Amino acid sequence: MIGGRSRRILITGGNAGLGLALAKKLARHHKLLLSGRKSQIEVSDTLPRGAGYIVADQADPEMSTLALVRGIRDFGWDSLDNAVLNAGIGVAPGEGFDSTEAIRQTLDVNLMAAILQAQALFPLLEKSKGTLTFIGSVVHTGSATIPAYAASKAGLHGLARALRSEWKGKISVQVLHPGPAKTGIHDKAGYDPGRMRALFLKSDDMASMMASAIASRRSPLTLSWVRYLNGGAILGRRL
Amino acid sequence: MIGASKQALVTGGSAGLGAAVVRWLAAGGYDIVMLDRDQPRSEVKFVDFLQCDLASRTALDRSVPELIAGGPYDVVVLNAGISATGRFEAMSAQDHIDVLRVNTEAPMVIAARLLEAGALNPGAVMVFVSSLSHFTGYPGAATYAASKDALAVYAGSLRKVATSKSVTITVAFPGPLRTDHAEIHAPEGADASKRMDPNLAAGLIMSDALSGRKNSIPGRNNRLAAAAGRMMPKPMTALMRRLIYVRLKR
Repeated sequence: MIGGRSRRILITGGNAGLGLALAKKLARHHKLLLSGRKSQIEVSDTLPRGAGYIVADQADPEMSTLALVRGIRDFGWDSLDNAVLNAGIGVAPGEGFDSTEAIRQTLDVNLMAAILQAQALFPLLEKSKGTLTFIGSVVHTGSATIPAYAASKAGLHGLARALRSEWKGKISVQVLHPGPAKTGIHDKAGYDPGRMRALFLKSDDMASMMASAIASRRSPLTLSWVRYLNGGAILGRRL
Repeated sequence: MIGASKQALVTGGSAGLGAAVVRWLAAGGYDIVMLDRDQPRSEVKFVDFLQCDLASRTALDRSVPELIAGGPYDVVVLNAGISATGRFEAMSAQDHIDVLRVNTEAPMVIAARLLEAGALNPGAVMVFVSSLSHFTGYPGAATYAASKDALAVYAGSLRKVATSKSVTITVAFPGPLRTDHAEIHAPEGADASKRMDPNLAAGLIMSDALSGRKNSIPGRNNRLAAAAGRMMPKPMTALMRRLIYVRLKR
């Protein structure tokens, strides 16, 4: 990190799971602004020291986008080096079908909010020729267990593919597809991975891979065991 | 039930590809329930026409019970779609929202509710109309591309549970069509004669669907483009950028 510049980094969904793991990884060298659904008081003990926090519930894509833009401005930032649109939810329909509500919520939180936020953050990222990172999932090619979640992540994949081309030379756009990690997302989704959990990567290792993937600015990148066993969590560029 | 006619549901059947699908089904003797925001212009008689703007969640929620009651269906074609072309950052937030609601959310909701309610006969086919952009990428219509990718993957993810109800799912990936929709969204100076006749596309897609194909890419050139996009996604998206994004009016 010798000579590494301190960057202004926004991470949505930064108060739990992979978002928080990534924030902890980056907090030592960079300035962080995190967003989440919970109140400031609820998260104050979990966040890395020095990180700013914005309350923005992605379940309302438009309001959460406004909250982010306002929060960044109030924090005194007029540009962003990195935006990591990471916030996401999953709902497993079990034996049945996704409820209408679950479909709408999944699309709103995972895809619609990311679309509106990407649009709203464009001027801030453009100013510093920054990097916009969407956090997808390895299931973006489909999953019978979590169809709506898979669909929302496929949407992010296509969005990043088009935007990376549109914003070439202005903003680096990328989508990262993490494999399963030991976070709370499976419990929250109502899905018990059982003994499979033993095969999930530690969220800390996943965060290391995410950090070097972000530094590489490449897209699309799949972050799973293959990359891990190739040294993905310890080698590669540092942000 | 000998001689009973077959029942079909088509969304977005008032114009474009949907209208062509309606004509194809009507010629095949189907009784058709049709849902669209706009009144149909065709001479086809529908057993039921539901006027519904799929961008509105409340309107869709009102229509769902009627859609279920209109069944059980032998063919369901979830075709309704809108586009928004232009530089991503310059489009209105509402445009992005409407595209995702109409193209992705509404067909996902309709499919889940129909399958859950058993509104499809055993042996029925359900067609999801995605886009060739699923293979090529679509700079200049990023949200549209996202919406069609999401729909294609949702359809594929439903296949397992649909099979348990003896329903087959076909995802259609039509390329550029000679429709009003294309007139608005194609770049200026694009040659309309190179776009496919919607009647031809509808026939190819429905034949694929009724023969149980998982995917339908109508037309040889489109299949070539899809293959190229699969093998070389980045050069293909770069080509799309040159063909579309840099020539956009907006």
